[in-house]
Amino acid sequence: MSIEVRHLFKRFGATVVCDDLSLDIPAGQLVALLGPSGSGKTTLLRIIAGLEVPDSGSVLFHGEDATDADVRERRVGFVFQHYALFGHMTIFENVAFGLRVRPKAVRPDDEEIRARVARLLELVQLGPLGDRYPHQLSGGQRQRIALVRALAVEPRVLLLDEPFGALDARVRKELRRWLRRLHDEMQVTSVFVTHDQEEAMEVADRIVVMNQGRIEQDGAPDEVYDHPATPFVLQFLGDVNLFRGGTPTPGAADGRTAYVRPHELEVVAEAEAGSVPVTFAQALTIGPNTRLEFRRSDDQSYVDVEMSRAQWLALRDRLGLKPGTRVHLLPRKVTRFASEDVDPAAMI
Amino acid sequence: MSAVGAIVAAPPRVSDATTEPAWVRRALIAVALAFLGLFLFVPLVAVFAEALKKGVDVYLAAIVEPDALAAIRLTLVAAAISVPLNCVFGVAAAWAIAKFDFRGKNLLLTLIDLPFSVSPVIAGLIFVLVFGLQGWFGEWLRDHDVKIIFALPGIVIATIFITFPFVARELIPLMQTQGIEQEEAARVLGASGWQIVRRVTLPNVRWALLYGVILCNARAMGEFGAVSVVSGHIRGQTNTMPLHIEILYNEYQFAAAFAVASLLAGLALLTLVLKIVVERRVAAQASGATR
Repeated sequence: MSIEVRHLFKRFGATVVCDDLSLDIPAGQLVALLGPSGSGKTTLLRIIAGLEVPDSGSVLFHGEDATDADVRERRVGFVFQHYALFGHMTIFENVAFGLRVRPKAVRPDDEEIRARVARLLELVQLGPLGDRYPHQLSGGQRQRIALVRALAVEPRVLLLDEPFGALDARVRKELRRWLRRLHDEMQVTSVFVTHDQEEAMEVADRIVVMNQGRIEQDGAPDEVYDHPATPFVLQFLGDVNLFRGGTPTPGAADGRTAYVRPHELEVVAEAEAGSVPVTFAQALTIGPNTRLEFRRSDDQSYVDVEMSRAQWLALRDRLGLKPGTRVHLLPRKVTRFASEDVDPAAMI
Repeated sequence: MSAVGAIVAAPPRVSDATTEPAWVRRALIAVALAFLGLFLFVPLVAVFAEALKKGVDVYLAAIVEPDALAAIRLTLVAAAISVPLNCVFGVAAAWAIAKFDFRGKNLLLTLIDLPFSVSPVIAGLIFVLVFGLQGWFGEWLRDHDVKIIFALPGIVIATIFITFPFVARELIPLMQTQGIEQEEAARVLGASGWQIVRRVTLPNVRWALLYGVILCNARAMGEFGAVSVVSGHIRGQTNTMPLHIEILYNEYQFAAAFAVASLLAGLALLTLVLKIVVERRVAAQASGATR
């Protein structure tokens, strides 16, 4: 089912958390709302769920206005960051809850509830844990239970609030892949909130980058990464070097800030058109990649360059790089923006 | 998150750096035990010893005597009315304070504590001034033939006033740590307001609620000051157990006074046992909630 959001405004006290937000999510899509904390992404998600009421604007489900519909009527599945499992109920009862609270006329009988819950628990491979209590489960298991509990009521849309935020890196990776598979199987329209760009890139069909209550950019992961619409998006989606005052200058120096990602800089021995003179400071190898730190000869600011470990070893031997060696950096790809109004305080 | 649970569940380890020499520890323990014995244990033994001094027959006679039975009945009735009411009030107030943000929340919190800070005698006097014959509603009440002061309603009102912080105070901190995520989850899953209260909120606080009710009941049955002011001490009619004990004592019927007192003391002991049992469950629940 499709979701449309129209001119949404919401403020808490003096803080505007949703500033004229409009968004179209077609049926079956998996969308990530990506942004730093305080960007309004969670509030937007809660407004879609009906847990928060917008000051103005509307939310449409499948073309029908749902702005004033009660949470219960919206038939959404919501997964909370801290799972919000019912601590006094068994895992089985947690998953069955949404079915048990239905009005008698539409409530499945006991046998059917049993069968459905068992099927859902199988789906997340937690079948044998039905009679445990939430505190006896690991974080990853709890999150999976929270997810099937939301799915048990056959929601029309699935909303996830930082679903993997509280988990450690390895479990998070596993669950991301699992969520992607689950979505491909069930085809339920899903929106998830995250502040982790890697997570958004890996899982979502589409990324909506938010900042200070506004949508900065909305597009496919590759599009957002390769063609950032604003300096904010560029900087939020990965490391970037800033060259103020127009250098490096492939073409004319026009005074605008140039942004170059660390992996798009080439280290060369001799000056070329558009290159910057630098001094090598140090190399840090993290796993298969190496990050090189250079210091610019003109204003002493640092520039990061990233390459694979093998490339680094070849480069080191070829140029004889050691701390203090003078070389030049040549950008392969430079991004500039028409307007320069990036707020450094908004970068996290 | 589990750190909070660990603090509740496991006693903190005492490090050597903060430990005192052995003789200091022994002296402190001895002082504490001596105080405990002198002020708590000896009086308790004295109550039962005095009660049974003139034999079991006198003891039983004092308890089954009509005035005593009337006092016991009145105490039970007053507690049976005020405890459930305070239970409802406590849950409602704790719910409102822990789960919602509204203007005057701090004022409400302060008001809930008011009975703890006001002397019970003053509390009783307030109701005499409001409902008594010379009070604000006195004439209206007399004209409509409603008796509040020197009757059961007055005793119940005074008891409610005195005991109303117990349940609320017990629930508020627990509900605040639990937050509203589970209620929101239940709501999204389609539960109605009443279903949320019955299936999620109340089960999550059930032991703390029981604990509050036990304390509330103990105080309701033992309350003296406020009830004394509004009751009028009419024998067989408006005397509760504590008031009956005082009258007997003032009339030098020591054995009878202590016999009735032993019932209250027994109640206190029972409360203590229940309290320990429930306290453990509350701690377990609090740690479960934060995990």
